Amino acid sequence: MTKLRQRLLPYGLLGPGLIWLVLFFVIPMYFMGELSLKTGSLESGYQLTWAWENYTDGIFDYTTQFGRAFYYAGVATILSLLIGYPLAYAIAFKGGRWKNLMLFAVIAPFFTTYLIRTIAWKTILDDTSPVVSVLQFLQIVPEDGRVLATSAAVIAGLTYNFLPFMVLPLYASLERLDQRFIEASKDLYASSRQTFIRITLPLTMPGIIAGILLCFIPASGDYVNSTFLGGTNQAMIGNVIQSKYLVVNDYPEAAAISFTLLLLILIALLAYIKFAGSEALMGDEEERTS
Amino acid sequence: MNTPNHRNMKLLLLAALALVASMALVACGGGGGGGISEGQNNEDVTTAEGGTADSGNLQISNWPLYIDGKTIDEFDQSSGLKTKYTEDVNDNNEFFGKVQPLLSSDDSGGRDIIVVTDWMAEKMYNLGFIQNLDKAKLGTVEENMIPSLKSPEFDPDRAYSVPWQSGMTGIVARTDLAPDVKSINDLFDPKYKGKVTMLSEMRDTVPLVMAADGIDPKEATTEDWMNTIDKLKENVDNGQIRDFTGNDFVQDLAKGDVVAAIGWSGDAVQAQADNENIEYINPEQGCSIWSDNMLIPVGAPNPEAAYAFMNYVYEPENQAQITEYVNYVSPVSGVKEILTQKDPAVANNELIFPSEEFTADCFAQVSPPGDEAEVKEVEQAFQDVVTG
Repeated sequence: MTKLRQRLLPYGLLGPGLIWLVLFFVIPMYFMGELSLKTGSLESGYQLTWAWENYTDGIFDYTTQFGRAFYYAGVATILSLLIGYPLAYAIAFKGGRWKNLMLFAVIAPFFTTYLIRTIAWKTILDDTSPVVSVLQFLQIVPEDGRVLATSAAVIAGLTYNFLPFMVLPLYASLERLDQRFIEASKDLYASSRQTFIRITLPLTMPGIIAGILLCFIPASGDYVNSTFLGGTNQAMIGNVIQSKYLVVNDYPEAAAISFTLLLLILIALLAYIKFAGSEALMGDEEERTS
Repeated sequence: MNTPNHRNMKLLLLAALALVASMALVACGGGGGGGISEGQNNEDVTTAEGGTADSGNLQISNWPLYIDGKTIDEFDQSSGLKTKYTEDVNDNNEFFGKVQPLLSSDDSGGRDIIVVTDWMAEKMYNLGFIQNLDKAKLGTVEENMIPSLKSPEFDPDRAYSVPWQSGMTGIVARTDLAPDVKSINDLFDPKYKGKVTMLSEMRDTVPLVMAADGIDPKEATTEDWMNTIDKLKENVDNGQIRDFTGNDFVQDLAKGDVVAAIGWSGDAVQAQADNENIEYINPEQGCSIWSDNMLIPVGAPNPEAAYAFMNYVYEPENQAQITEYVNYVSPVSGVKEILTQKDPAVANNELIFPSEEFTADCFAQVSPPGDEAEVKEVEQAFQDVVTG
C-alpha cells in the first residue's frame, strides 16, 4: 500500500502542472500549428490546405523585422549583462545590511505594470526632456536629433524592462559562490583580476547563461517597447504578428510567423547550449556536491 | 555523470525554457484561435425584437472615453434597467476579430448594442451579424437625428444603424511651431522632417493624402490606393513621418515632439483645452467625415432595452451632457440650443457644431474599392508601411 503510494506520489505532484501545460500550452500549440497551414479569411472561414507558403512568405516578407528583433534583443541582453553583473556583484558581496533593500529596489519596478513603465520612458526621452538636452550638449545626439522614435530608444526600453531578469539569476549564483574559493585563490597569489576571471566568472556561468536566456527570449518577441518608444522602421517581429492578428485579421500567417519565431529561438538556444555546454547551463552538480 | 539529480535538473530547465518561449509567443500573439464561419449573407436579416424596456439588463460595447460619467446612471434610474457599459472597442479590426467567432454562431456575447465606425458597420451587416431596427420603436431618434446624417451611403435608410457621434479627420497642428501648415502636402515639407505623425487607421490617413494629390478618394482605384501607400513608404524611409499613431498623437503634439499630425477633431478639442496652441485645421482639400454607429448584433438578449437607450441619448437634454464631455460632433439636433445657455464655448465651437461651409469640401470616409481580397491586399500593404 505504502509502496504504491510512493510510486504514485511523483505523478500526483506532477499532475496539476502537467494538466495546466497540456490544456493551455500543448493544445493551443496544436491549433496554432494547424491554423498556420490554412488559407482563407476570417469572413469566409479557413480551410486546411497545407499552405506551407505561409511560412516562406512570413520569412521572406519580414526578414528585416526578424533581424531587427534579434538585433535589438541581442544588444539589450548584452547591455543588461554589462549593467547587471556589477550590480549583482555589488549587492551580493558589498551589500551588507542593505542587501535586501537593494534587491527590493531591483524588483520594485514590477509593482507597476509593464505598459506604464514603458510609457514613462516616453516622457524621459521626449525631444525636450533634460536627458535629451544633456545628450545633445555632449554631442552624443546631434543638435536637432532625437532619441524617442529611434532604435536607441527601443533598445534602452528593452534593456530597462529586462534588466531584473538578468540581475536576479546573477545574484543567486553570486550569492551561492563559496567564499573559500576566492580566499584560496588569494592565498595562491592570484591578483583580483585573475581571481575574477578564473574563479568568480566560471563559477557564476550558470547565472550568466540563465540571465541571458531570460532576457533574450522574451525580448525578441516583445512588441510593446517598439510600439511606444520606436517610430517608423523600428518595428520588431512582434509588431508584425500583432498587426497580422489584430488589424489585418490574417490569422494563418500570424500563426506561421509565431512558429517561425519559436523555431528560430529554439535553434539559437540549441546552438547556444552546444557552444556553452549543458554543463555550464546546469552547473556541474556533481562537482559541487562532491 | 548522469546522476538522477542532474537529469532532473536538466528536465526542469527544459520545461522552464519551453514555458518562457511560450510566454514570448503569448506576449506577441495577442488573441488567437481561428474563427471558422460559413460565409453568410444578408438575405434573411432579422429585425431586432423582444426583451423588456423597463427591467432587466442592457449591455453596451463602446469606445473608451466616449461617454460622460453620469448618463448611464441617470438612464438606469429613469428606465429601471441595469446597464453594463463596457469600453471594449479599441479598434474596429481588433473588435471584429474578437466578436466574429461569437457572432457567426448568432451569439453577441450578451451585447445588446455595439458601436463601430461606418465601414465596419457595413461589413458586419453584409456578413449577417447585425439586425435591422424596428423604426416604429425609435420615435425620438427619427425625430431628432440631424438631417445630414439621415441617409449615409452605406445605410441610406438608417435601417440598421444609429449614429453615436461623428467626427472629422484632418490636420492637428501646433500653431506656434508649424504656423503655415494648411494642406496635407505641407506635412511632407522637409522642414518638418521627423516631426509629423499620421493615423494608423488606413481609412483615415490614405484618402486624405490621396485627396491632397488631386485624386478623388470616392473614385480612387486600387492602384491609386497602392500609389498613395508607396508615397507614404517613401516618406517613412526618408524619415519625414515619425510614427503612425492612435489617439496618442495628441500627447506628442502637447510635448512638441510632433508639430503637425493627421488627427481627429474631437481629440483636438480636448487637447486645446490644455494647450491653446494645438489646433485642428481643415485641410485645403477637405477633411474626411465619419460616424461611429450603434448597432444591434444578432443574438442580442434585450433589443427593447437597446431601443430605449437609443431614444434616451437622442433626447437633446441627455445628448448635451454627452457632447459637453466628448467634444465630437453630435448627431442630435437641438443640442446646440441647450449648450448655448449652459456652455457657450462648446456651443460655438465649429468642431463640435460644424457649419455647412466648414465641412463643404469634406467627404464621407471611404474604403478601398474591390472585393474582400483586394481590400485585404491594400490593408496589408498599408500595415507593412506601419510596421516597416
